[in-house]
Amino acid sequence: MKFNWEYFFQTLPYVASKLNITLSLTIISAIFSLIIGMVFALISYYKVVGLSQLLKVWVSFIRGTPVATQLFFFYYGLANLSSWILNMSPTVAVAVIMSLNMGAFVSETIRGSLISVDEGQREAAMSLGMSGWQMTSRIVIPQAIRVALPPLFNDLINLFKMSSLAFLVGVRDVMGAAKIEGANTFQFFECYACVMLIYWVITLILTAFQKVLEKRCDSIYA
Amino acid sequence: MVEVTGLSKTFGKDTEVLKDINLKIKKNEVVAILGPSGTGKSTLLRCLNYLCEPTTGTVRVGNVTVDAAHHTRQEVRNLRRQSAMVFQGYNLFKNKTAKENVMEALVTVQKKPKAEAEQIALKLLEKVGMLERKDFYPAKMSGGQQQRVGIARALAVNPDVLLFDEPTSALDPELVGEVLNTIKQLAEEDTTMILVTHEIRFARNVATRIIFMDGGQIVVDGTPEEVIDHPENPRLRQFLNFVTK
Ligand SMILES: Nc1ncnc2c1ncn2[C@@H]1O[C@H](COP(=O)(O)OP(=O)(O)OP(=O)(O)O)[C@@H](O)[C@H]1O
Ligand SMILES: [Mg+2]
Repeated sequence: MKFNWEYFFQTLPYVASKLNITLSLTIISAIFSLIIGMVFALISYYKVVGLSQLLKVWVSFIRGTPVATQLFFFYYGLANLSSWILNMSPTVAVAVIMSLNMGAFVSETIRGSLISVDEGQREAAMSLGMSGWQMTSRIVIPQAIRVALPPLFNDLINLFKMSSLAFLVGVRDVMGAAKIEGANTFQFFECYACVMLIYWVITLILTAFQKVLEKRCDSIYA
Repeated sequence: MVEVTGLSKTFGKDTEVLKDINLKIKKNEVVAILGPSGTGKSTLLRCLNYLCEPTTGTVRVGNVTVDAAHHTRQEVRNLRRQSAMVFQGYNLFKNKTAKENVMEALVTVQKKPKAEAEQIALKLLEKVGMLERKDFYPAKMSGGQQQRVGIARALAVNPDVLLFDEPTSALDPELVGEVLNTIKQLAEEDTTMILVTHEIRFARNVATRIIFMDGGQIVVDGTPEEVIDHPENPRLRQFLNFVTK
């Protein structure tokens, strides 16, 4: 069997046109996982009694199970218990799972960045009579952001790749469209090559951006 | 100016680090605290501004008194505003320049207008010889320079008493002098200070009063002549012998 270049270039624009779905999924989940991550991180940073222990279990559960399983468990399993999930569109379900999944990872990234600000600076702020919120907002968070941004961007790249799971529940994203096209023409080789190429190019662009961000973060406050 | 009554500190269940400390320090006194490692010198200093919460006893600084038995967060913040601390590890805010470090408490705690805070900061940086580096971040300063900014930051809030916890012991030997000179200058201006240090000769020259601590207690309390030149207490003699060798 030969790789059909003509068919490849013919299919590429069609598959690439589904990037709007893939990117919307990525961006929406990025926003929600950031919100979830920040709330979770603050809960464990302030060691909120009860909640922070609960979160530990949640994070270990999310990190210890495959995201595809989480999606199926949610969309096909829990749907038995909730008509809200049953009536949910597959795209929304994927966004929910991506947000919950990445939220757990993001919370760890943010928590780590908050702890990375040394105890000495906190003591200095307290000894000057600054309030807890002044210390957190003016000393801890500005330094934590600098530490958190590069790994958070990494999480974003992972989220982008994770969005390809959407095809599992029938969403026509880049991956889903290629799968359906391949099933019609039996030219899977070319179709999935399109998908690989599209993901690779976008990831390369994001990675280049991340390098710049990393440099910026390294040089600030120096 | 500072009064400590019946202060004790126990870590965990039964590590009693400070035992019934009673201490009065008058305005303009420069008090050096000496003692072997692990006798609770840092703990005592940190109890004075509640970075470390005493188990029992009261601490008064200026006109604010806090009782370990019952205190509010607001009382603790008020107490902290009466003093300022210079740390062994400098503890400058790493996201702020030298000038911003000095301005920080003026703006956030004392709510001074920015322009006024900046004026004060520049004056203090000049005093510690750091005016030229006012726009440098801590990452670009030597240890000695950071510590001098740390002193300026502490002075900014115009504290009743300055607390120093081994301000030079993290410094390379050639940088110790510049920091000690700054402290000496403050002593000559009659700034009230409490200084935990291992620099016996410096303490002898600069302090008006020396306290020797051992085993969580104040063992000797007297003038530099009494304590350093004519030590009578056997434990103090042993300590001085040990550190001056
Ligand atoms: N947070 C803490 N938890 C438990 N024990 C502590 C804590 N902080 C200090 N200690 C103990 O209290 C004792 C006194 O410590 P402290 O730091 O006050 O000594 P120090 O006189 O300042 O010693 P050094 O000269 O080495 O700085 C030590 O035995 C130390 O192990
Ligand atoms: Mg100490």
